[in-house]
Amino acid sequence: MNLSPDQTVVFSAWGIPINATVFYTWVVMVLLTGVAIVITRNLRPDVPPNRWRTTLEVIVQGIESQIEEVAGRRERHLLYFAGTLFLFVAVSNLLLVVPGFAPPTASLSTTTALALSVLIAVPLFGITSRGLGGYLKTYIQPSFIMLPFNIISEFSRGISLAIRLYGNIMSGAVIAAILLSVAPFFFPVVMDVLGLLTGLIQAYIFAILATVYISGATAPPSNSEKETP
Amino acid sequence: MSIDWITVAAQIANFLVLVWLLKRFLYRPILDGIDAREVEIRQRMQEAVQAKEQAQSVEQAYQDKVQALNVAQSQMTETIRKTAEEQRDVLLAEAQKRLNQEHATWQAHLDDEAQKYIEKMHKAGAQALLLLTRKALKDLADEDLEARIAHHLVGKIKPMLPDLGRAAGRASEAVITSQATLPVTVEGELTTRLQRYFPQIAIRFEVNEKQAPGIVLRIGGAELEWTVASYIDSLDAVMQEQLATGIDATGKVP
Repeated sequence: MNLSPDQTVVFSAWGIPINATVFYTWVVMVLLTGVAIVITRNLRPDVPPNRWRTTLEVIVQGIESQIEEVAGRRERHLLYFAGTLFLFVAVSNLLLVVPGFAPPTASLSTTTALALSVLIAVPLFGITSRGLGGYLKTYIQPSFIMLPFNIISEFSRGISLAIRLYGNIMSGAVIAAILLSVAPFFFPVVMDVLGLLTGLIQAYIFAILATVYISGATAPPSNSEKETP
Repeated sequence: MSIDWITVAAQIANFLVLVWLLKRFLYRPILDGIDAREVEIRQRMQEAVQAKEQAQSVEQAYQDKVQALNVAQSQMTETIRKTAEEQRDVLLAEAQKRLNQEHATWQAHLDDEAQKYIEKMHKAGAQALLLLTRKALKDLADEDLEARIAHHLVGKIKPMLPDLGRAAGRASEAVITSQATLPVTVEGELTTRLQRYFPQIAIRFEVNEKQAPGIVLRIGGAELEWTVASYIDSLDAVMQEQLATGIDATGKVP
């Protein structure tokens, strides 16, 4: 029994083996991009919006409002990053119900990649927002003694993000597989429903936590921070 | 549970590509569309507000115009009414004036006609009176009227002789006028009688058709006459007295 789709090679291209994680990631990417292109191809002010466009607008505006609530401000770049995180994780988890589909988020490599992305995005957003000095100063807040703890905290965030997402999705898939072998006609349905719910919740949590981390790094310095030498 | 770092790198690349793809094909078009729609809605609302304000200003202008027209109409109606009244008064005054003039003209014409009729009646009455007198005198006394008139006039001279003599003064001529030519015998008798009193004065006879029937003698500034005019006046007075007191068809006075 393979617990990770990384070990399943779907096909090879030019001698490079393409495993299930990468393959199904591409599937999700193609699906998301294709739907977006199809729905937004006739997006002009003079064309009245249809129900698909309205659905996409609701989704995008919902993500934007959530980010605004967490970050306290509207920021397009944060929307692009956190919104893509949410959509990718959510669609990957929702496609769990499709027979034969192995969600890429069930791979620790994927969740690690996403966590690393967040881990890299946080200082990048922070430096872009505050400048290099301003961002590095946050590591010695409230005092210089906190520097190692802040660094540990920064890495533990990424690790916790990766492990949390991976654990939830992978465990859901594993439990579904085990129960399928025990009671093949009843438990899979219940587990699939539960998997959809937890998948959406995990996507939400992952995106929200990423938003919190990034917005914390990009937040304008408070008065107390300004007064501190 | 293991981490395939090549897969991790691939997934990081995939995720970054997905971020770019969704930014390019999802977020930007959707958010730009929403922004454009918001701008359009705001612009339309602004246009609607402007259109509403414009409509209100047009409505206000229309109301003002209607009010001004109503006022102008009232003023015009009042002016027309006053003008009509003035014109009516003028026309009525003109009509009244013309009526008065016509009435005065008619009255004058009536008076003139009455005067002419009276004169005509006097003339006819005088002629009738003269004719009847002449006829009655001829029938009763077998004498001419003109002779009796001349005799009567000569009879009136004698008592007035001193007055006539003073009035005659240095006059050299006496004129005797009558309506018709007097008979030769009458002219002779008058000449004889007058030259007995005034021998130095020549006698001349004239005919004046406008004069009342009778004889008029003028010597210097004196005038002595006998005409039926005084009788006609007496006839008028008698007739008016008779008409005033009333007279029946038989001619008897009640």
